[in-house]
Amino acid sequence: MEQNQNTDVIVTESVTKVYDADGIPVNALNGIDLTIQSGEFTAIVGPSGSGKTTFLNIISGLDAPTEGKVWLSGKVLSEMGGNELSDFRRDNIGFIFQAYNLIPVLTVEENVEYIMLLAGVPKSERHDRVVAMLESVGLKDVEDRLPTQLSGGQQQRVAIARAMVSEPTIILADEPTANLDSKTGSDLLEMMSRLNTETGMTFIFSTHDPMVMESAKRLITLRDGQIDTDETK
Amino acid sequence: MILKIAFRNIFRQKRRTILTALAMIVGFTLSSIVIGLSDGAYSNVIKMFTGNRIGHIQVHQEGYHDKPSIYKTISNYESIGGTIQGNTDVETWTPRVYAGGLGSVGEKSTAVRIIGVDVAREIKATQFNKKVVQGNALTETASREAVIGQGLAKTLAATLGSKIVIFSQAADGSIANDEYTIVGLAESGDDITDKITCYLHIEDAQELFVLEGRIHEIVVIISNINKVGKITEAIKGSLNDSNLEILPWQVVAKSFYDAMQADKQGDAVARLIIMFIVAIGVLNTVLMSVLERTREYGVLKAVGTKPIQIFWLVICEVVIITIGSICIGALLGILINYLFSIYGLTYAEGLTMGGVEFGTMYAEVNARSLMIPGITVMLSATLVGLFPAIKAARIMPAKAMRTH
Repeated sequence: MEQNQNTDVIVTESVTKVYDADGIPVNALNGIDLTIQSGEFTAIVGPSGSGKTTFLNIISGLDAPTEGKVWLSGKVLSEMGGNELSDFRRDNIGFIFQAYNLIPVLTVEENVEYIMLLAGVPKSERHDRVVAMLESVGLKDVEDRLPTQLSGGQQQRVAIARAMVSEPTIILADEPTANLDSKTGSDLLEMMSRLNTETGMTFIFSTHDPMVMESAKRLITLRDGQIDTDETK
Repeated sequence: MILKIAFRNIFRQKRRTILTALAMIVGFTLSSIVIGLSDGAYSNVIKMFTGNRIGHIQVHQEGYHDKPSIYKTISNYESIGGTIQGNTDVETWTPRVYAGGLGSVGEKSTAVRIIGVDVAREIKATQFNKKVVQGNALTETASREAVIGQGLAKTLAATLGSKIVIFSQAADGSIANDEYTIVGLAESGDDITDKITCYLHIEDAQELFVLEGRIHEIVVIISNINKVGKITEAIKGSLNDSNLEILPWQVVAKSFYDAMQADKQGDAVARLIIMFIVAIGVLNTVLMSVLERTREYGVLKAVGTKPIQIFWLVICEVVIITIGSICIGALLGILINYLFSIYGLTYAEGLTMGGVEFGTMYAEVNARSLMIPGITVMLSATLVGLFPAIKAARIMPAKAMRTH
């Protein structure tokens, strides 16, 4: 497959995922061919069970496709080993999960710092970037708290800060507003939209939230593991 | 950061940490007590067996140990003893004469083993006087007195003041035959010995067996039994006489030594069982801990933590708990072994070890009782930690994050 490595950050070719549900094969994805370009603000929508989360997992290397290939920033994910894939995710992808998924024993500051620490960023630089990032997500005053001492909205802000602090190429957000009230969700969405505009990072959401769909510049609808519609606004 | 996460995880899951640590602490402490008590018992038995009977090192004419004979004697024993005493690790030495014969008291007779002793030296070397439980020890000059074992006294129906007649063959081929007054009854701690032994003054024995100043054995007592091999070699070097055999107690009392080694192997099996129980406990709690945190490992991996770093995270947690448990276990082990070393562990019925019977077992506080449990607990905990660690490292992030 021909790839434009300057602009195509994600390319999938005939991606299929079959789960084994107690011996019964369940087709979560049925031959997805998709290209996502650098700087997109894309929402993947569809009913529950349409394959949104599975698709995000596969394009980020968190799961392997049963068939097909995924190129991420020009590299084929299935050709990478465990350690290489971890490094690649660390350097290229920021994750925002529906359930926040912060590291419970680390403080806000340490959660945000963690990925840079893995990447070997010097201490002083880490500190400066964490401070700047927490300030930009409005969490400057809670840096020493543990995740359990924060509200859902605050935890999601930490997750966004953690996802963005290492300046990855792509941010993958799985239902990022699902557990938030509409005000908090709207604030976070606005923040991500601003960051997309300012930094040019690629944002890909899986969502049910009409507010996210409204903000997205491209809307991909999945149905039964296949692309139903693909609209660019 | 991995170490920081490991530390915090340990304190986050306090109950599980305490359970894991308890399994290790109990295992360590039990193992330490088993070693402390058995080492203490071995030390006591060896002390009793060597210090009170055979000594730490023996010197004979070459071949005497394998095939004892009244004719295999040492003539210049005073000079040899002086050379031995020159070794700074030697506390003292004492000469002995051995012979077999027939002992009679009145109309009763039985086979006896005659041991001629230098009373003053024997008291210093083996506390001979303390073996005499009735009457007195022999006087320091030859006075035709005898001390016999209590068992022998029973066989011969002898009492203090009875006359014992010894019949045997002397070293010159003549008939050895003389009468001695029983002045004391001895108890050595070994029933078999007490049923056959008759102690005479060494000069009386030399006269009876026509040995003319010759002896059969020099018993050497050293200051540190653990250095017996080295001191034996040093004495061999200083005597430099191929007509003499210089043997450490392990060779002199080979069957006793072998019996003790067999006992020690029994202890190793007991330790192995304890450690197996510890390993199962640790495996269970660590595995549960990993399973409970499957989602967290999935997140760590998703954000870029390498499988090897997750592996080390689990191993770090196990090792930190193990080090803490070993420290607590060591304190408990030292304390309990110390108390047992003072008050002992008394058995309702006597315990026999290597043929020596004793009623109270005293523990020993030594490095072995800390090192062996420490190494075993650390090894077993780390080994059983490997399985959950590998399991955590191989977690597929997407699947892991679906678990609750």
